[in-house]
Amino acid sequence: MSTAPSIEHDTSHGQHADEHYRGGIMYWLTTTNHKDIGTMYMTFALIMFFIGGAMILAVRAELFQPGLQLMQPEFFNQLIGVHALVMIFAALMPAATGFANWQIPLMIGAPDMALPRINNWGFWLLPPAAILLTLPFILALFGIGDGAVNTGWTLYAPLSVQGGMGVDFAIFSIHILGISSILGSINIIVTIFNLRAPGMTMMKLPLFAWGWLITAFLLIATIPVLAGAVTMLLTDRHFGTSFFNAAGGGDPILFQHLFWFFGHPEVYILLLPIWGLIPHVVSTFSRKPIYGYKAQVYSFIAIGLLSVVVWAHHFFTAGLPVAALLYFMYSTMLISLPLAVLFFCWIATMWRGAMSFETPMLFAQGFIVLFGLAGLTGLVLADVAADAQYHHSYFVVAHFHYALFAGGIMGVMTGVYYWLPKWTGHMFSETLGKWHFWLTVISFNLTFMPQFFLGLAGMPRRIPDYALQFVEFNAISTVGAFILGFSQLIFAYNIWKCVKGGKKATAKVWEGTDGLEWDLSSPPPHHSWEVQPVIK
Amino acid sequence: MIATQEVAEMDLSTGFTAEELRRRRVASRRLAWLLGGVAVAIYVLGFIVYRS
Repeated sequence: MSTAPSIEHDTSHGQHADEHYRGGIMYWLTTTNHKDIGTMYMTFALIMFFIGGAMILAVRAELFQPGLQLMQPEFFNQLIGVHALVMIFAALMPAATGFANWQIPLMIGAPDMALPRINNWGFWLLPPAAILLTLPFILALFGIGDGAVNTGWTLYAPLSVQGGMGVDFAIFSIHILGISSILGSINIIVTIFNLRAPGMTMMKLPLFAWGWLITAFLLIATIPVLAGAVTMLLTDRHFGTSFFNAAGGGDPILFQHLFWFFGHPEVYILLLPIWGLIPHVVSTFSRKPIYGYKAQVYSFIAIGLLSVVVWAHHFFTAGLPVAALLYFMYSTMLISLPLAVLFFCWIATMWRGAMSFETPMLFAQGFIVLFGLAGLTGLVLADVAADAQYHHSYFVVAHFHYALFAGGIMGVMTGVYYWLPKWTGHMFSETLGKWHFWLTVISFNLTFMPQFFLGLAGMPRRIPDYALQFVEFNAISTVGAFILGFSQLIFAYNIWKCVKGGKKATAKVWEGTDGLEWDLSSPPPHHSWEVQPVIK
Repeated sequence: MIATQEVAEMDLSTGFTAEELRRRRVASRRLAWLLGGVAVAIYVLGFIVYRS
């Protein structure tokens, strides 16, 4: 464990930081400070998380009973599609980028991100993209236009070729979000390669930075493919091309290939930063060093490489050749090996540790157990023969929510609770944190566990009505979803309370912390490392 | 040894020289252009490569 003393900043430092803070909207529009930009990313992600969550609560309210109660099927489809796009591109990805902005310079001993102005630009592209995504949906509420994108987040052709103006809004939004992601990724790669403290070799890099490094490369490799696919979609819709339009000699399945060449690595893009952060949390609250550092680094690399060669398992039922089916089945299953290595390393880190269960550790435990269920059900879906039954059913919906809510969002919550005292200089309320954890875990399972059974019984996804045999599980799922949604208000309140004040946090914050970032004061000074640390 | 154990032993007396910082900034900009070029190339190649 770290024995290094905290770096003391002179007492005039608060005043020094105040000199940098000019206040007002212009400050936030023009700031190039990595911590400010990290805060903006996290705030934006939290707001969009609630917007995306509200949309799906409306969907769950409709699904509380069979028949159409609250909305027409067209509006239901829009809610489903925009919910997914908002949660993936405007909540989870910005949250991960917010972590990167806040933590990577602190963890690697850099004074800031390498390209601060691009960093600012990368963030400020997000709000207009989010507005583009949600505006037609909001306009439709007032009877203007034909609503938002109604194809689901996958934008499958030919439905998306024929869809209304909401598809165009989504296409432009995805282009802008993609540019933002690529700028962020370039910045992270360049910062890690060029601004590490002297002596910090790649194999001394914190695992969180390693997770983000692989993520950034995946984004640069796959976002342009998605951008290309949606550009082709745009030209199919308005400029007379037929890339995906069978009537003009095009191939709708080509869109599925292009989309999922991006879409599957996207899952790992969302999860690799979390897998990088979990070992730090588990190590801290087990008061033991991270077990299997190198094994975890190599697993990240293996998962990154495998993630770009398995895409077609998302459309086994589209009519692929048998050889392709077998290849994509086995390559998909292969990913479970490096992923299992990560699980074993997390468990081995805890093994015989002096564990304590503060809120970040509780969320890390919840993550490990529930994300494990996502992995196991993923193996089931990877089986070509079984997938014919599960495809496009609620089993898939349950599976990817175990991956992206329990794995992604609960991972983000782990990180927020772990680093919030470092960012704000105050401790959050442990009582509220524990209430938030238990309500989240219980209601999450109440929401999504029944969906496995619904899927196994044959309930299709993205349909606002259903047969009578699905009534009970849908009712339970809706009750769970509302508890889950409203319990997130505790999270927002706890953050707000922590930002406004509370017990002062020390530099190390938690007893078992280890790493450079804990040697800075809480909150860190405006320029994170005014004295460059040298790693021996 | 894991990384975080080693980074704890810090020497705070030395830092980047102005020359070293300038060199790193130039290298950062060069790498950023390269990565941006790769992203644009992937995007453009998709339209050019002929699919039989």
